[in-house]
Amino acid sequence: MTLGLLGVALIIIGPWIFDSYVLNILIKAFFFSVTAVTVDVLWGYTGYLTFGQSAFFGIGAYAAGLVFTHNGFSPGTVALALALAVAASVAVAALVGWLSFYRGASPFFATVISLVLPIVMTQLLLSGGEWTGSSSGLTGYDTFDFSLSTWYWIAGAALIAVGLFAWTVVRSDAGRVLASIRDNESRCSYLGINVPMVKILLLAATAAIAGLAGFGYGSFSGVVAPELSGFVLGTELIIWVALGGRGTLWGPLIGSILINVATAYLSSRMPFAWQLILGITFVLVIVVLPRGLVPLLLKPFGLDAQRDDIPTLVERPAAAATATTGTPALVMNGVTKSYGSFKVLQNIVLQADAGELVGLIGPNGAGKTTLMRCMSDGADRSAGSVLLCGHDIGRLPAEACVRFGLGRKFQNANIFESLTVAECLRMASTMLERPSLLRRARTLALPPYALDVLRATQLDGKLGSVALDLSHGEQQALELAMVLALEPRIVLLDEPTAGLTKTERTQIGQVLSSLAHRYKLCCLLVEHDLDFVEDIATRIVVLHQGTIVMQGTFQEVVHSDLVKTIYAGSAHAAREVA
Amino acid sequence: MTQAALQLESVSSGYKASIVVRDLSMKILPGEAVALLGKNGMGKTTLLKTIMGYLPKKAGSVHVRGKDITKLAPHRVAAMGISYAAQEQALFTELSIRDNLRLGLETDALFGERFAAIEPVFPVFKDRLKQYAGTLSGGEQKMLLVARALMMRPSLVLLDEITEGLQPSVIDRIGVALLRERELNCTTMLIIEQNVPFALKVADRYVVLKQGEIVDEGSAKSAGATSAIFDHLRV
Repeated sequence: MTLGLLGVALIIIGPWIFDSYVLNILIKAFFFSVTAVTVDVLWGYTGYLTFGQSAFFGIGAYAAGLVFTHNGFSPGTVALALALAVAASVAVAALVGWLSFYRGASPFFATVISLVLPIVMTQLLLSGGEWTGSSSGLTGYDTFDFSLSTWYWIAGAALIAVGLFAWTVVRSDAGRVLASIRDNESRCSYLGINVPMVKILLLAATAAIAGLAGFGYGSFSGVVAPELSGFVLGTELIIWVALGGRGTLWGPLIGSILINVATAYLSSRMPFAWQLILGITFVLVIVVLPRGLVPLLLKPFGLDAQRDDIPTLVERPAAAATATTGTPALVMNGVTKSYGSFKVLQNIVLQADAGELVGLIGPNGAGKTTLMRCMSDGADRSAGSVLLCGHDIGRLPAEACVRFGLGRKFQNANIFESLTVAECLRMASTMLERPSLLRRARTLALPPYALDVLRATQLDGKLGSVALDLSHGEQQALELAMVLALEPRIVLLDEPTAGLTKTERTQIGQVLSSLAHRYKLCCLLVEHDLDFVEDIATRIVVLHQGTIVMQGTFQEVVHSDLVKTIYAGSAHAAREVA
Repeated sequence: MTQAALQLESVSSGYKASIVVRDLSMKILPGEAVALLGKNGMGKTTLLKTIMGYLPKKAGSVHVRGKDITKLAPHRVAAMGISYAAQEQALFTELSIRDNLRLGLETDALFGERFAAIEPVFPVFKDRLKQYAGTLSGGEQKMLLVARALMMRPSLVLLDEITEGLQPSVIDRIGVALLRERELNCTTMLIIEQNVPFALKVADRYVVLKQGEIVDEGSAKSAGATSAIFDHLRV
C-alpha cells in the first residue's frame, strides 16, 4: 500500500525531479509496463503463455502512425485512430482466441499460435510498402502537442489505472475463475464454466488494453516501426514478467519499468554484455526464484503477506424438487463407445428417475467410468443418444451438460490445487451466482447437502487451507461438496468415498441417501464397497464387459451366481455368514 | 538383537511451515508387516513420502537394515530394495503394461519369471501386455501399480491404499498374494489402509496415527484390534 502511494507520488512529482532524458525513457517504459501487466494477467494468472501481446501493442501504435500520416491530425482522426486501435486489436484477438482455444486444443498449440501472430504482423508491416513505411516505419507525422510532463502524467495515470483495475479484478471472485482455469480446465467445464469463451473474452480485453498502450506509445514517440509488433518485444515482455515475478502484477509492473530504464542506460555503454546479463539473469530467476525478483525485494517490508480472509458459510435453500412431469432424469439409448474395433460399451439402454439412487457395479475395467463419461460429454460416445432431464445432449460439451442439471464427481479427486477450500467451493457456485469482477464476497452460500458433506468430513474447519495440502480423502470430500454446490438434478459419483474412513463413509452415505430421498435428485453411484451400496442404493445395475448384464434390487443382484463369479469374491460371502 | 528392516527415530516432516508428522519413532523387524491406520490428514501418506525421500526430514533419522537413508534421494532409496506403491497413480501412461512392469526390474531376463509369479493374482494383464497403461480403467491402473511393486521383489514394500477402487474379488487375491510374498521372500511391509479388515489380515501389527503421532498400537491378530481401531477412527 505504502509502496503504491510512493509510486503515485513519483508519478506526480516526476517532472520536477527527472531530466528530460529520463522522462522520455519513463514514458515509453510506462506504456510497455501496461502491456506487461496484460501479459501477467494472461500468463501468471490464467496460465496462457503468450508471446503475442506485442502484436496488439503494434496494432495500436500503427493505428496512430497510419491515420496521422495519411489523414492528418485532427480531433476526428484522433477518434478514428483510437477506435481503430481498439477495434482492430479486439478483432484480431477474437480470431486468434477462437483458433487457439477451441475444444481440446492443447496449451502448447495456443502458445505456438501466439508466437506466429507477431511474426505474421511484422511481415505484413514490412510488405506494406510506402503505406506502412516498410522496415523504416513511419515518422514525422503530426501528433498531440503536449509537453513532456503532460505525457509523463498521461502515461503514469494510464499505468496506475490499468494496474489498479487488474489488481482489483484478479483479487475478485471472478479473478479466481482465471486461477481455476490455470489449475484445472476439465474441472471448470464440469462446473459449467465455458472455458474457451472466458479465455477469448479475456484475450480480447487484454488486447484492447495493449492496443491502447501502443496507441499512446505511437502518439508520444512520433515514430512507429515494425519492431513494435515483433516477437522480440513479445519475448521481452515474457522476460520482464518472469523477472518481476509472474502472478504478482506488482512484479511485472515495477520490473518492466526498471529493466527499460536500465536498458536505456546500459545498452549503449555495454551493448553486448547487457543482453547477456539480462539473459543470464532470466535463466537464474527461472531456476532459483520462480516467483521473480520484485517479491523478493518486497518481502522485508511484509508486502508478501498472503490473503487469508475466510468467508462465513451460509445455507442456500436448495431449489425445490421440480414436480416430476413424467420425464425421467436420465435416458440412455443404444449408447456405444468404441476405440477402433474394440468396443468398451455396447448398446447401453438405461433409464433413471429423480429420487432414485442407482448403484453401478462391475469388475474393474467393465466400462463404468466410460459410461459416466458418455453421459456427461456429448463428444464422447460413438453411437446412441443421451437425454438429461429431457434435453438431448447431442454433441454438446461438458459445460452444456452441466447446465442441463448434471454434476460429475471423478474417480481421482479433481479439484483446484492452488485454491483454498473456500475458493474451490465458490468456483463451484459460479454457474448459479455470477461472481463479481470487483469484489470478494464475505459469505459463501451452499445448499444444505453440500454443507452436510463439509461437516461430516470436518472440512468446514479448513476453509482457508490450500486444496493441494489436503489429504487424499479430504480432496475427495471437497470435490463431492463442489459437485453438490452446483445443485445438480443428476449426480454421477465415481467412488465418492474412496480413501475415507468407515465412519466418514457412513456419514457420506447418509448425505447421499438424503439427496435421493429427500431432495429428489437422481444419483448414479460407482462403488466397490458393497455394504455401503446395500445401505443406500434403490437399484443395482451390473456392468460386465461393456454391457448391462443384470438389474434389480441389491438382494437379487448380489446373491446371483453371475455376480459372485465375476465380481464379489469371498468378502461378501464372509459377511453373509457373520 | 536383530537389525531392524526399517527404523524411524524422532522423525518430523511436513510441507513448508506445517508439521504433519511429529517426532515419530517406529521399528519394523525383517519380515514383519505393519498396518498404518488413521483418519484422513493424520500424516500417513506424508510418512511414506518422507521415508522414500520425496519430502525432506525436518528432524530425526531413518535407517534401513542399519544403513542411514535419512538424506538419500528417492531413486537411491528405491535402489536399496524398497518399493513404494503410491496412492496417486504413478504410472507411465504412454508406455505399455509390459514396459511399466519391466521398468521396476534390473534386467529384461527377469520379466518372464517374475510376471509368471504375479499373473494368477492379476489375470487381466495376461493378454494385454502391449496395451498402453493410460487406456486401463482406474481400478486396473491400481492393480498395475501393485503388480509393479511386487515384481521388484523388494525387501521392504510401502503400500498406500492399494485396495481403493478395486472389486472385492481382486482385493481378496491381493491379500493372498501379499501373504504368500511374505512367506516366500520374507518381505517387510508397511501398509496404509482404510480397509481395516484387509490390513489386519495381511499385517502382524497395527499402528494408529493421529495428528502425526502414534496413539495406539497392538497385535493385528488380537481379538480387540478391530473395535479398538474403529474407536480411534471415529473420533
